[in-house]
Amino acid sequence: MRPELKEYNLDKLFAGTFMVARNLGSSTPGEIKNVLKYTPYVGGLLEPVLATGKPSITFFDLFYDYYSNIINAEENGKKVVMTTFCFDPSVFYAIDNLVPVTLEIGTALTTMLWKRGSSDFMDYCTEIGFSETGCSSQRGAMGAYLAGLGAKIDLVALNMGGVCDTNANAYNFAAQYLDIPYFGLDYPSELTTEEVREYHHKDYRGLINFLQENTGCKFDINRLREVLEEKKKQDVLMNEIEEMQRLVPNPVPGIYHIMIYAARYIYSGKIKFTKLLGEMVDVVRENAKNGRSGLKNGVEKNRTFLVYIDNYALGTAMFQWFEKKGISHMGNILSRTFSQDAPYTTGVPGTTYNIDTTNLDTMIDSLADINARMPMTRTIRGPYDAPNMWLEDSLSLAKQYSADCCLYNGTPGCRNTWSNVKLLSRDLEAMGYPTHIAYGDSFDPRVETWESTETRLEEFYQIRGLL
Amino acid sequence: MKSEFLEAATQIEIDSVQKWKQNGGKIVGYTCSFMPVEPFHAAGILPVRLRGITAGSMEISDSYYGPFVCSFPKALLQLAGTGHYHFLDGAVISNGCDTLRRLDECWRKMGEDIKGSAPPWFHYFDVPHKPNGHAFDWYKNQVKKLITAIEAQFDVEITASKLKTAIKNQNQVRKLLWELERLRREDPVKISGTEAYAAIIAGTVMPLDRYRDSLSELIEDVRTRKTDIGKNKKRLFIGGSVCDDFELVSLVEQSDAVVVGENVCFGVRNENDRVRETKEPLTAITEKYLSGSVCPRMMGWYKQRAGMIIDKVKQTHADGVILQNIRFCDLHGSENGLLERDLEKSSVPSLRIEREHGPLTETGRLKMRFDAFVEQLVQSVSV
Amino acid sequence: MSIVAGFDVGSLTTKAIILKNKKILGAAMIRSGPRPVASAAKVLEKLLDETGIHQADIIKAVGTGYGREKITFIDKAVSEISCHGKGAQWLIPSARTIIDIGGQDCKVIRLDKQGNLIKFITNDKCASGTGRFLDVMAKVMNIDVSELGKLSVKSTEPITFASMCTVWAQADVIKHINSRKSVEDICAGINTAMANRVAMLTNAIKIENDICMTGGVAKNAGVVKALGKLLGCRIKQIKKVDPQLIGAIGAALFAQEMVLKKSSSS
Repeated sequence: MRPELKEYNLDKLFAGTFMVARNLGSSTPGEIKNVLKYTPYVGGLLEPVLATGKPSITFFDLFYDYYSNIINAEENGKKVVMTTFCFDPSVFYAIDNLVPVTLEIGTALTTMLWKRGSSDFMDYCTEIGFSETGCSSQRGAMGAYLAGLGAKIDLVALNMGGVCDTNANAYNFAAQYLDIPYFGLDYPSELTTEEVREYHHKDYRGLINFLQENTGCKFDINRLREVLEEKKKQDVLMNEIEEMQRLVPNPVPGIYHIMIYAARYIYSGKIKFTKLLGEMVDVVRENAKNGRSGLKNGVEKNRTFLVYIDNYALGTAMFQWFEKKGISHMGNILSRTFSQDAPYTTGVPGTTYNIDTTNLDTMIDSLADINARMPMTRTIRGPYDAPNMWLEDSLSLAKQYSADCCLYNGTPGCRNTWSNVKLLSRDLEAMGYPTHIAYGDSFDPRVETWESTETRLEEFYQIRGLL
Repeated sequence: MKSEFLEAATQIEIDSVQKWKQNGGKIVGYTCSFMPVEPFHAAGILPVRLRGITAGSMEISDSYYGPFVCSFPKALLQLAGTGHYHFLDGAVISNGCDTLRRLDECWRKMGEDIKGSAPPWFHYFDVPHKPNGHAFDWYKNQVKKLITAIEAQFDVEITASKLKTAIKNQNQVRKLLWELERLRREDPVKISGTEAYAAIIAGTVMPLDRYRDSLSELIEDVRTRKTDIGKNKKRLFIGGSVCDDFELVSLVEQSDAVVVGENVCFGVRNENDRVRETKEPLTAITEKYLSGSVCPRMMGWYKQRAGMIIDKVKQTHADGVILQNIRFCDLHGSENGLLERDLEKSSVPSLRIEREHGPLTETGRLKMRFDAFVEQLVQSVSV
Repeated sequence: MSIVAGFDVGSLTTKAIILKNKKILGAAMIRSGPRPVASAAKVLEKLLDETGIHQADIIKAVGTGYGREKITFIDKAVSEISCHGKGAQWLIPSARTIIDIGGQDCKVIRLDKQGNLIKFITNDKCASGTGRFLDVMAKVMNIDVSELGKLSVKSTEPITFASMCTVWAQADVIKHINSRKSVEDICAGINTAMANRVAMLTNAIKIENDICMTGGVAKNAGVVKALGKLLGCRIKQIKKVDPQLIGAIGAALFAQEMVLKKSSSS
């Protein structure tokens, strides 16, 4: 790692950035224009988010809260748990002295907001022995934490065993490197059987014991109930946005997807996330009422469903390109919650979760069920053509949202999807959905520059007559 | 080297497999050492560990697998696509890792395209990533399901008694394999790593009785040898990704070294690596296969695994360890980084190597590194 | 005092050194052909011609590099890693970390005070981080690879290359040329991209001062400067001889040791 980088604490940089960003709510357009002039890299995220109006300030405020929790954790006597985006953090917020830090969000932000992205931190992981071919989504922020350039991590808890080796492996490496306690939830390949449900519930209880042992704190049942009740409200709001997305034109601004899922992964169950969602619902309702597209120029030429993740490798370049081309972003694997009232549920028993706050047992079971239905943990745990797995999910969502085509963005580290994306793509094409596989790295533009990715996207949309 | 072991280590369709088929026997391939072989033996079916040796190209598997994935499952798929596994009556795919578990759908899809390339029966054996509690119960239930599936597919009955016999027979082989390991640790070294590894691999593809007899003969022969293969050579230990190719061991030994032990998913781990014959069979099978945590897929068990590996290295009196991983094998690739650190803390030098699985086209590059590592161990060049 | 020889058959060049009494009597370097044995024989012939020494005068010879074991007129083959370590420390006794960037690979070597090899690490992935990367970029720019270093030191605004892949980076170079970026800035960017890759490898081995570089890329002042900056250390440059010859020098030193050992045992 370049020696000069060791002067900066990553979490403090983000806390400072979002602290300033959240104050832009009281700035004039001229002042904002000046700010953007002097922040060419951070502006890549600021500008499109600010364009969404009121939700943008709540979004920045939420992230400021999240990062100031992290930087003040030690001083406030709290422990920091390193976790993954597919792990619903609401359980952590039920424990008084615990603060989560989610690696993939840190990597995405570093990639989007810094001039050279998170590549220095990624390379640092290789320097200390981590495999260079591991997924970049962890390596970006992980490098910072393992170099001591972020908060001190006290424990690791996640839920990717059985779903994503490279993810679980990264966290395992981090835990061993830092010599701190580790717990991973494990997922068999089935989703809906009674046997697997029992497995999830028992496994989650193991997690609860682990958290209690390693934080020295008992679960506050009332607090947990509060968090889960808040989560219920959030599910209702997200479901409404998902429902409205079915309209033609799609009234949901493309950038809302990343705003929603990024906030969900770090602040699920917290009031500020509910506030953010509420403000977004207002905007989307207004668009829907007026038959207006969520695209800035108002003209929807194409509806693209992303079967996996977005591309963050050059700010919000992909989102900007979609805007420029009139492509409505119909969500991706990260957008979906699979709560029981989500509009895209298929009615197949066991595929969704229900939040039951009756008592501690039901709440723990609910959390277990939620975590088993997070992105990736649900969709790519079993063979791609098994019921309720990647193919079925992709086809039903593409149909639900009247998608014109499908797009795969990922990272070279994703062994799971790279082992079957060709099969998926083939089947999607056979079912009438032109499908493009991008070979870049959503978090590392060194693998394929955005310009190259863009060129290929242009070719795809043009040749397949999609615009 | 015993010719049948050499044959078994270098070819896919060996003489004993052909004879088995000619006699009307059934053969099922499996991918991972977490899958118990005893149910198959109890059913009179030959379980054959699927290997990727002899795969010369990847154009078929590249049509199903994407890039950026480990070349081992790709090699398996390629061989299946070119008809090399035509003798299989079934395949059991386990979730050893993400790439390997996707062999299930890749192979099935290939079977739709290339007639005859997929066996008539596939079974997915779902191994948990933890060894105890509810994970133990889950695995035990998976074994039950496997037995039920075998019975249904092959119209056989796997009784408790047959299972116990199969356990006993397999344990006899494990005992012999452990004796081989013990002999390899002696000084003078009477068997090269190449010869030993070929014998170990052969055990995963040959009929049990025949293998047991041949292995016994080999052990007897080794005991009486008067050679010292290890003279003036460095003793090396190999760890890391699946290694079904004894040519890698052979390449290492070309660098003035003798390989005295491995921690890869072949062979036996220690003298207690057996299925307990006094316990209820399914429980005993689960205990053996799910315990010990030899593989980084069992996350959160690194410390135990590292301790076991370092112990094993010391018991073999190895001068150094080669930690190899197949490119894109992140499980071993990363764990090798931790092991390197911990081996060094235990004053054991190690060399990390990344390679492609397949015919050793990188021999020059690899050999240079092995040579340099041995030179490092020697610390001066002798005349 | 005995005359000894060292041969280094690399992917791009084959080198030979003759040593006598710790002095270099002669050095030769030719472009490698497809057959390492033939290349070694050719460079030997050139060296004998230039020095007037006869092959029979050479008491011991050691070979290194690709195909070293096939060279018939050597007494022993030793890895490039040991040879580069040996040669570098002979020239810079304080050297403890040696970075060797050759045509097709990159190695970082750690030695102790006595010159014993402690640890090494090599680039296992691809061409980026090797001389090949620079060759390809120089070709795209239509300049000689030796110009990359000289031009880069005049850079005022080095380009940041987005891609580390040799193939994609070519497209980036073309893009920058078409955008009329200065050739000096592009060269600086190329060198920095290379140095980034090498720095990652170097940091993985926990460097110890003094650091020096061997191999052809050590002659590129731009890479040396960028690498020093990334590592936060000064890289000591080998000035007495061409850094491409270090491997052959190390091989000759090993040959010398063989002679000394033999004479002390007899």
